Amino acid sequence: MSSSSPFIPSLEHLTRQRGVLGSLVVSETDGIVIDAVVQPSVKAPVVAALAASLYRRARQSAHAAGLGGVRYLELVADGGRLCMAGRDDLVVVLVTDTRVGVGLLRVELLRTAAELPE
Amino acid sequence: MSVSDDIRRWSDELARSPASMVFLPLGEALRTRGQIDVALRVALRGLERHPYDADAHDLLARIYVDRGETERALDEWDAALRCTPGHAGALKGMGFVCFNQGRVVDAERYLAEAAAASPEDDGLGMALLRVREQIANANRTPPSANAAGANSAAPAPEPESEPAAASAPTPVTNGNGHGATNGNGAATNDVRAESAFAEGDAHFGDPRLLFADLIGVADQAALLLDEDGLVMAGQYVVSDGMDVGAEVGAALSGISDEARRAMRHLPLGDWRTIIFETPAATVVMTPAPQDGLVLVAAAPEVPSGLVRRALESVSQRAKRWMEQLS
Repeated sequence: MSSSSPFIPSLEHLTRQRGVLGSLVVSETDGIVIDAVVQPSVKAPVVAALAASLYRRARQSAHAAGLGGVRYLELVADGGRLCMAGRDDLVVVLVTDTRVGVGLLRVELLRTAAELPE
Repeated sequence: MSVSDDIRRWSDELARSPASMVFLPLGEALRTRGQIDVALRVALRGLERHPYDADAHDLLARIYVDRGETERALDEWDAALRCTPGHAGALKGMGFVCFNQGRVVDAERYLAEAAAASPEDDGLGMALLRVREQIANANRTPPSANAAGANSAAPAPEPESEPAAASAPTPVTNGNGHGATNGNGAATNDVRAESAFAEGDAHFGDPRLLFADLIGVADQAALLLDEDGLVMAGQYVVSDGMDVGAEVGAALSGISDEARRAMRHLPLGDWRTIIFETPAATVVMTPAPQDGLVLVAAAPEVPSGLVRRALESVSQRAKRWMEQLS
């Protein structure tokens, strides 16, 4: 990834949080990685595709249920979490292990998403 | 500060000062986290030291409801009302149990008293509205049906929701002349006999109200969906009084399929919870037995931590309810 990307400082900040294995900015529409700062164990393209798909589905379902657009999504699994926050077509995705302090992370993620370019 | 931190802090405080009233928030926190047995021990120990504290009896009653011991719960609410006549929590609990038993007139009376004692509780107002609607509907039916349905135990088609709200009489203590106080004789025994019949019928109360006492806060909803996204229990009532559970359930159930698919390709194990926030609601969901789904939704202003905790209680009850069904 280019170090000149405007997303890198935010992604690096997120990835420094305890328990965070990687952070990515992905395109919700096609699930490709826009930018990422991830540990070697994280397969960024796979995470991006699956996270984008899940976020898209949640957004469509929430819209169908009359709840409006999704601004934050968190999937908790036995071995960690996927946390996402989106703006327009861009979604910031975090991959974490189980040690994460999710309250702080949620706030940071929403802040990062709010700063994404429109 | 997390709930775990609170529990640790309260536990420490209770260890230092066994007579402290901190057993109340501690017991409640343990209960809502699903640590029912631990909560029970905490509540019982607290009651040993504070036998005349209505809130302690109320806490114990709610724990008993979670354990499916409705009769004991009613006894505790009875005790709470003896300690503090007009105790809103006790009246509310008794109202929900009565409603689940199909005794809507009793339920209306309890909930009306609870609402009067706790006018800031919007959830009570909503519950009261629904009970009154049901009474009005019953009054529109032929007299014979009405007599059976309005105020006797378990109007037949209403399966009792869960072991919690299953049995038991209404040990009325507030002097309104309806029902009977525990141990007061025939009337109580009659009601208990009716309740035992309802329980023995292996059914549960109105499934729509399965989570009613757990989702006591205004602007919350809980649903149990089957593998096809159909509502099995719970309801999702919006501001105009409409239950949109079927629509919401159908729309949201697909998210779990997507999550399952994602988990097959990510080294994170099985998914346990999905939380998402929209301008209209915070929604949390978790898998239920038989590929079902439990979801809790709340207005955005409800703290997300509270919604997540509510999911644990709702999920446990859903599991027990499905076990009873099967």
